[in-house]
Amino acid sequence: MSGNNAVRSMVRSPFVVVVGVILTWFIAAFLVWPNVNILIATFFPDGSFSGRAAEKLFSSQRAMKALGNSFLLAVALSVTVNLVGVFIVLVTHYFRIRGSRILFLGYASTFIYGGIVLAAGYKFIYGDKGIVTSLLVRVVPGMDPGWFSGFFAVLAVMTFATTTNHMLFVANALKGIDYQTIEAARNLGASTWTILRRIVLPMLKPTLFAVTILSFLTGLGALSAPQVLGGRDFQTITPMILTFTNSPTSRDLAALLAVILGVATMVMLAVMSRLEKGGTYFSVSKVSSELQKQDIANPVANVAVHAVAYLLFAVYTLPVVLIVLYSFADGAAIQTGQLSFSNLTLDNYIRVLTQQSGLRPFIVSVVYSALAAVIAVGGLLFVARLLQKYKNWVASTFEYLLHIPWILPSALLALGLIVSYDHPNPLVGGAVLTGTTVILLIAFVTVKIPFTLRMLKASFAAVNSSLEEAAAIMGAKTLYVFRRILLPLVLPAAAAITALNFNSLLDDYDTAIFLAHPLVQPLGLVIKANTDGAEGTEGIANTFVYTVLLMVITGVTMYLVYGRSGRRKGRKRLPAAPAGLQVSDAGLPGAQAPGEDDATRPAAAVR
Amino acid sequence: MIRLENIEVTFGDFTAIPHLDLHVQPGEFFTLLGPSGCGKTTALRTLAGFIQPAGGTVRVDGKDVTRLPSDKRQVGMVFQNYALFPSMSVWENIAFGLRVRKEKPADSDRLVRDIARRVELSDEQLAKNVAELSGGQQQRVAVARALVLRPKILLLDEPLSNLDAKLRHQLRQQLKDLQSEFGITTVYVTHDQDEALAMSDRVAVFNKGVVEQVGTPQEIYDHAATEFVCNFIGDSSALTPDFVAEVNRLSGAGLSTDARSYLRVEKASLDRPADGGTAVGLPATVVSRTYHGLHSRYVVRSHGADIRLLVREDGAAHPEAGTATTVYVQPGHILQYHPGSGAALAQDQAVALP
Repeated sequence: MSGNNAVRSMVRSPFVVVVGVILTWFIAAFLVWPNVNILIATFFPDGSFSGRAAEKLFSSQRAMKALGNSFLLAVALSVTVNLVGVFIVLVTHYFRIRGSRILFLGYASTFIYGGIVLAAGYKFIYGDKGIVTSLLVRVVPGMDPGWFSGFFAVLAVMTFATTTNHMLFVANALKGIDYQTIEAARNLGASTWTILRRIVLPMLKPTLFAVTILSFLTGLGALSAPQVLGGRDFQTITPMILTFTNSPTSRDLAALLAVILGVATMVMLAVMSRLEKGGTYFSVSKVSSELQKQDIANPVANVAVHAVAYLLFAVYTLPVVLIVLYSFADGAAIQTGQLSFSNLTLDNYIRVLTQQSGLRPFIVSVVYSALAAVIAVGGLLFVARLLQKYKNWVASTFEYLLHIPWILPSALLALGLIVSYDHPNPLVGGAVLTGTTVILLIAFVTVKIPFTLRMLKASFAAVNSSLEEAAAIMGAKTLYVFRRILLPLVLPAAAAITALNFNSLLDDYDTAIFLAHPLVQPLGLVIKANTDGAEGTEGIANTFVYTVLLMVITGVTMYLVYGRSGRRKGRKRLPAAPAGLQVSDAGLPGAQAPGEDDATRPAAAVR
Repeated sequence: MIRLENIEVTFGDFTAIPHLDLHVQPGEFFTLLGPSGCGKTTALRTLAGFIQPAGGTVRVDGKDVTRLPSDKRQVGMVFQNYALFPSMSVWENIAFGLRVRKEKPADSDRLVRDIARRVELSDEQLAKNVAELSGGQQQRVAVARALVLRPKILLLDEPLSNLDAKLRHQLRQQLKDLQSEFGITTVYVTHDQDEALAMSDRVAVFNKGVVEQVGTPQEIYDHAATEFVCNFIGDSSALTPDFVAEVNRLSGAGLSTDARSYLRVEKASLDRPADGGTAVGLPATVVSRTYHGLHSRYVVRSHGADIRLLVREDGAAHPEAGTATTVYVQPGHILQYHPGSGAALAQDQAVALP
């Protein structure tokens, strides 16, 4: 293998050279230059250093307040998500709770909807004209209809939306605990509470740290939840960046805020990878036994835990149930919140699926997401293969550069693209991209690169290397081996990654809000517009239908990618889902360096 | 010291142990031996209090502990993979039980250091993380953690099974030494007959949830009570009725020709034994010979029986495959079992078959 490590052997292959040239151009044009350009626009607006943007920022009360709010939200979210997340993981995986399967399904509802869709859903239900609020106001006449807004509402919604990380990673870490350690502790006289506090939670600590940092970053970069539910008094950095971007005179302010957000993100990620290097507890056992559920011995505690568990279940499932129900309701029912069987029809679905105005955003989103997902996976198939094969400084430089979208918040990336391509630029053949439909596609592809790359690399690595060697010994050339041996083995994984990418882009809001063409608006933007009441009751009804359709699509994809492979585990397992896709193998979010953006942050869409 | 009486363990529809009686003497090293899935670990876990039996009683030191939780039974346990807490240092691992009991910190520290010294863990090692220790050191931590609470009984659940062969031999000795030093009643679970024979005072051989035989290692080896024990322990060849009849004819012994008969590999030989007064020689052909350095393994055929035997490689000439030879057998070494029940037949007892 020593030959593979030499840069010279890489350059000798024409295949590598072609891929390398295209990759270099892409990285330079869309990953490096836009972000460098932001720094230039902020600090060197006229070619020489200027602190004017900073001065403007510090003198803007609104901007400073937004900065403060973002950090407040980030800290508060880290606490609340951990409280709720650890609780639901313990209730579903650690303690013996009646109906824990049903509870799990309820808590897992955040897997199938998030981001702007979830924020919109909560607003339609608890907001000032919301279904539940309308009912409540009728029961309690003096009640403030705007009760569900501001810091509290944003924190609540984001808390319940982002426990997905706990369900994935903390639950997985918990399953990894060797049950014999718990039995040993019990044999030594420890109580249920002592075992939880002294044995179980300490072993989860590294994962909890990682998840906390992800929650912090989610809070810091929040966009849709504060926009939809924050009201006038609670605005945060990213919505502020968006506001400043839209007026050319304050673009430098937007850029500076984006840079601050980016720096904070990078610092937190650095802390996370540092913590992980030092803090992971490697199990010392070679054979471990499976975790068994624990009884809560104290009857009072048992009842209390059951009560809280079902209360949370209601909180998680109520929006989903109501959205599904009201997606069939007519305008009157949606407005008054009162629902009877006579109000339920298929009219909303018929309208959305047959009328041009209803169907268009859906089709726009589907086309954008499908294109971006296919381009990202198709292009990176070659790149991932080469990065997995060659291990030298050139390869690792490329790999690091491809992780830029993971390190930087999407607001910064989007702003960078706007600033860099709003005038003819030689990097893209002198074209202007801002305002075209292409720029959003580029952003979509870019955002998906780190996740796609990690997953594809993992699935290439999972292919038994002797297959390749066997083919080579029989005289097969590199490309032939790739086409006939590797590709068929990696293809199922590539399909799964494409599906996951497609899913997460379908309801994208954070990128689209900066870059979408005014006449080609994807779903996320239309849903957001509907929360402002632009389209009236019909808009709300449409949003419910969109939400249900998105949940169905996401649910089916999740089932196809994760559900079936889990069931097949007993049998001989071809690399159907790539190693990294199996949550059980993915381990800690950042453990394999940057990359699991979407695996770790399906919920980070709530920004 | 320990009495399991009429123990029955079921998991749903599956009966793991239908009926179990065991009696372990104070200070004894008692081994539960059997193939995987035979119920030996289930029996140990019932004793430890991790499994609640469907029926029967568990007594420790005369006291009924059947309904007591694990930590009230005064049993210490070393788990298959040691179950050391990875988030704690060695010292914290050993002190865990003491801290749960709310011992004074000074007392805990003294007890931990005292037990550590006895299992030969240095102060430096006490400060380490468990992941930094070797397999042998981890085992000593696990033993120390169990013994620091001064249990009446030490339970060991296949503690050597996930180690490589060399370390297993070394730690086997270490465990045995620790046990004799502390003089503590020990129940040991293993599927390795070699381990069981070398370490135990007495062995209970398990099969399908039933104890086939309890005895000293020599008893179960030389006088295997059932056909299962005979086959599970040691290595033996099955004999044909023809062969047994021929032995009877030559020696005048009254062996049953209808019983299932076996002969241990080391009990047959190609040379007349020096003191083998009762040995008889039967003509045989060498089927195969495998060279092992220290000895060769032979398969010779005589009267339809393939008899396996060992020949020490002492430099003398030995027959090659295909040649004719004589196999010497002492009638008293032939083990016989009832073909229906599998129970051992006493010598000279012809079996009355239906």
